[in-house]
Amino acid sequence: MSERKLTMSVNVIGWAVGLAVMCATPPAHAQPPTPAATDVAKDEGIPVQNDLVRAKCGSCHRSDDKGRMSRVSYRRATPENWERTIKRMVTLNHAILEPADARSILKYLADHQGLAPDEARPIAFEAEHRMIEYSYTVDKDAADTCSSCHSMARVLSERRTKEEWELLVAMHRGYYPLIDSQPMNGGQGFRRTRPIQTEPGPDGRPPDNRHPMDKALEHLTKTLPLTTPEWSAWSAAMQAPKIVGRWAVVGSQAGKGSIFGQVTVTADPSVPDGFNTETRYTVARSGETITRTGKALVYTGYQWRGRGSSSSAAGSDPSTSSGSSRAQSRDEAAWREVLFVERDWTQMWGRWFTGAYDETGIDVKLTRLSNDPVVLGTSVASLKTGATNQAVKIFGANLPATLRPEDVGFGQGVRVSRIVNARADEIALEVDVAVGAPIGPRDVSVGGTVKAAALVVYDKIDGIRVLPQAGMARVGGNVFPKQLQQFEAVAINYGPDGKPDTADDLTLGLVAVKWSLEEYTATFGDDDIQFVGTLDANGLFTPNVDGPNPKRSGNRNNVGDVWVVAELSSADARQPDRPLRARAQLLVTVPLYMAWFESEGGK
Amino acid sequence: MNHLKAINKKAARVERATLREPQGRPEPGRGTTEHDVVALQRTGLPQAPHFPVGCSLVFSPGWEADRTGGTAGLCQPVERDLFDCHIGCYWPAQVPDQLNHAPDWTAKCAAAQKDWRKIDLIFP
Repeated sequence: MSERKLTMSVNVIGWAVGLAVMCATPPAHAQPPTPAATDVAKDEGIPVQNDLVRAKCGSCHRSDDKGRMSRVSYRRATPENWERTIKRMVTLNHAILEPADARSILKYLADHQGLAPDEARPIAFEAEHRMIEYSYTVDKDAADTCSSCHSMARVLSERRTKEEWELLVAMHRGYYPLIDSQPMNGGQGFRRTRPIQTEPGPDGRPPDNRHPMDKALEHLTKTLPLTTPEWSAWSAAMQAPKIVGRWAVVGSQAGKGSIFGQVTVTADPSVPDGFNTETRYTVARSGETITRTGKALVYTGYQWRGRGSSSSAAGSDPSTSSGSSRAQSRDEAAWREVLFVERDWTQMWGRWFTGAYDETGIDVKLTRLSNDPVVLGTSVASLKTGATNQAVKIFGANLPATLRPEDVGFGQGVRVSRIVNARADEIALEVDVAVGAPIGPRDVSVGGTVKAAALVVYDKIDGIRVLPQAGMARVGGNVFPKQLQQFEAVAINYGPDGKPDTADDLTLGLVAVKWSLEEYTATFGDDDIQFVGTLDANGLFTPNVDGPNPKRSGNRNNVGDVWVVAELSSADARQPDRPLRARAQLLVTVPLYMAWFESEGGK
Repeated sequence: MNHLKAINKKAARVERATLREPQGRPEPGRGTTEHDVVALQRTGLPQAPHFPVGCSLVFSPGWEADRTGGTAGLCQPVERDLFDCHIGCYWPAQVPDQLNHAPDWTAKCAAAQKDWRKIDLIFP
């Protein structure tokens, strides 16, 4: 957590989920809880056994005779949610904290009042800052009330007592009074604003005229309580993770394809559960090799939060950028790492990301390496029937240095004609694919090691697809940073049945296509395409600048919606005379004025 | 449109637009060269748009997208609308509010249309 942010005064805000005001005369305390609620809460509270937490937070959060601090002891949360709360205590409630103390407090609270792995697993995308669709279908009232403003996963990152859930709602109503009647989901704010229903519902029961927040509270109290079997088990079983060693990393980056490499994890003796990393990976398609060093902390025994940068940029701190440089995207060499360490300490998975809005990322999976050989994958995702002397690289670890062609297998109809080069982590070879080779996924074996479904054999390209199907960019560059959007085109073979969109369709990997934009005609005379920005030859969309544009009618911003179109003319297509086309929708929209996407958790 | 004839200016514009931009929305992801008028022409309840975490789509319009999932229905330019959003904290996740969090946020911005460059990014 940077000093600059922690010492910022009241003009800096903290708006997110968390504890309510605790200093001076906290409004939440102005409404004494009912005795029953207090009793329940006290029974459940988690004693705080850390002197620093008690010293720094104790002037407002009083301890009872069992060491339970008001508010603090009745909540569990992810590191990110604890961090938001601590920041808000500094920015709005005048807590004075040195950055080092804030980090220690965050570590203690996340470790001792965190989420169990099984509680955090379904919402991993939140910490990973992954742009996905997520619908909370379990309870419509809770979803409407909470996710009108923020991700529902932020709520699912919390476990609280009944009283604490009520105080959380009170905090929101105190800080954002308009949410009471704000038109969420067609007219309903936190309070019921619609006329009282008197007629029974379709099921014959009397209508439920409670306020939406009351219905949501009932659900949250029941579904996300402080005490759960998962946490009871994990808080007892949790150990300091012993994850020092060599790890193989396999990943996928939009627009670039698969990556393969290794991460060496060493202990950082300066902090508990701290680690240093050295990462080296190769982008399979381009051969580009990237080397990074980084640091990470593991919270709650399984939540890896790290930060890495390429060697040339090591030590740079993106949070120190300010003023005019704020408009530039953050240091492009700095990447954040969010990983979920599996309980057996042999696998970690998650996302490495960067970009002003964390929009650029690699989905990664790390597997602990021993001395046994491992095949991780191949440089190509597909092989075409009838191809001869096709160059393929096999990526792995501990691979044999001396190999004969017959030691490497690709299944029926694919013959290794030559081993070009063999290293422990990479084998370069050439293969011939028979004209009649059966199409489908193939395992790749080296000696006695096999990688299942490492690539596919296909005969023709039947279609292409643009991913993501719906993308989003934000204008920027003048005042606020740009949010970029990377598209990629993958080729499809319809599989043995020859029918599209069936289970046997084969994805043939990225293909180089001709990219263009087309108008998504939303209105008559729609002219978005002239203003929104540019798409480069690699499918990376860069939006135009922010601010009103006097050249547009009504001084509109450079926002708009367009189609992103990919076109492939290939001799491998089933109808080579007809180019294959596919498109995706792109929304180019306005900036955010709140950097809620910023987090210092990895520092 | 085969059996209809435009008799006023607006109808003529519709005719021109549809002739230039043949109707029929292809399945997303499948290639086509056809243009189509989509967003504001939809009737009934909109389909759930595909924009992800962080977008307030339940408001109409939302911050990032309107209720059809496009930008045609947004308040534009966004700077024109900021004071409402800021003062009334209508967009608590997207725009800082004046009540508690950033009382001076627009202090240097007397007229947003002119002074929008002086607005800061707020770190919660």
